[in-house]
Amino acid sequence: MQTALLFGPVFQHFDKLLIGLWQTIQLATISIVLGFIIGTLGAVGRSFGPRWVSWPIAAYVELIRNTPLLIQLYFVYFTLPLIGFKFTSNTAAIIALSIHLGAYITEIMRAGVESVSKGQIEAARSLGLSQWQIIRLVVLKQAARAVYPSLSAQFILQLMGTSIVGAIAAEELTAIANNLVMQTFRSFEIYILLAVIYFVVVQAASLLFALIGRVLFRWKV
Amino acid sequence: MKFMKIAAAIGLAAAALATVSTTAFAQTVDEIIARGKLIVAVDTTTPPYGFLDADLKPTGFDIEVANKMGEALGVPVEFVTVTSPGRIPALLNKQVDVVISIFSITPARAIQIDYSIPYAGQSAVVIAPKSTEIKSAADLVGKKVGLTRGTGEDGLLTAAAEANPGIEILRFDDYSSLLQAMVSGQIDAMGGGDYGEIYLKKAQNGDDFEQKYTLKTFYFGIGVAKGNDNLRQWINTWLFVQKADGVLEALSMKYRNQPLPALPVF
Repeated sequence: MQTALLFGPVFQHFDKLLIGLWQTIQLATISIVLGFIIGTLGAVGRSFGPRWVSWPIAAYVELIRNTPLLIQLYFVYFTLPLIGFKFTSNTAAIIALSIHLGAYITEIMRAGVESVSKGQIEAARSLGLSQWQIIRLVVLKQAARAVYPSLSAQFILQLMGTSIVGAIAAEELTAIANNLVMQTFRSFEIYILLAVIYFVVVQAASLLFALIGRVLFRWKV
Repeated sequence: MKFMKIAAAIGLAAAALATVSTTAFAQTVDEIIARGKLIVAVDTTTPPYGFLDADLKPTGFDIEVANKMGEALGVPVEFVTVTSPGRIPALLNKQVDVVISIFSITPARAIQIDYSIPYAGQSAVVIAPKSTEIKSAADLVGKKVGLTRGTGEDGLLTAAAEANPGIEILRFDDYSSLLQAMVSGQIDAMGGGDYGEIYLKKAQNGDDFEQKYTLKTFYFGIGVAKGNDNLRQWINTWLFVQKADGVLEALSMKYRNQPLPALPVF
């Protein structure tokens, strides 16, 4: 190969990549929190709700899980304005990412909810716990513990999934790296550095999720 | 022993891969003819230069140039689709022989790859709704201006945004997303080619848009790998004949609906 690797011009712009990284972390964190809330409500609605609640949730899950995230981004950003809902790039990205993650979390949490034995729910009911208390204290806590590894894997996927929101002109790490490629034409160096940054961040996030898991689920089964 | 076997297998595989990669990439005109195909990087999201027709086959100004080049060499053309940021890496990685994809000639790019003489040119303009008053960069302050990442407009409008604080630049990955953003009102103005109106007119509210002012005229060259003088010289000779025969002018009228600007050579 004739091109030598030159990291000097790339490190000059390292501060821009760090700003991009911060935007990626924000996008991921906000959409993970919102997606988790949507998914948990979805799982409860699907398992305990009446048909008019559980069927629309099932439709939502199927619709989102069978279409690409990129199309969902395009839909929120390009199509919704035509019927009067206009969002900025970053807001549209958060909306699409949260709705996307929510569908997956619904399915994961539903698996957890169904792993809780009916006997426990009946026992809780005969002890006089309200339906809300049963769902919150008996079902959801155990469900979250049972599926925690799947949840953290989905969160990690979400973190990496933020890398495509540049398609709707949202700013994040990959979009900024692409801008730098165009300014410096050092594509090899920048993409190598980009991969290293993602690797470190994903490793750190895995560690963080493992620690959170240890703290939250200390009780013995 | 087992380790030796594995090491030998890996060595063989690596050797096989090395052979494959050297035969797949052609340096010279002779090698392209011997291989029996011309591998061309194109972008099918840049109408009218490269786009997909109703049968989803690549077509457009650049695609026809590539096909004519294949005809002249007597080999079929294999298209590799790239986005604008992917054009230089495609040459650096030796995935393609040439890039024919509205590849504006700039000194910065010429550090990494080599260009043929220009085969086409066009002006980068600012397009916005008729109702918006825009005469220069100063009028863009406080507006959202869309552009395609890594194009000539990107450099020009980024510089304009630095000189006039308050211009918000939104970068899209391809031209169709940019047009969609303009049509759906996500951006107030866009930087694009002088032919841009033709495509906006197809949209429901397409007649609302017009060219505001010219940023710069760009010249498109055919990109080849750095130092590939054998291929570049043949392309220059071939382009000279195409220009003399009026082939490029006819293509411009067919796809751009306007003549080419004067094409200087270097």
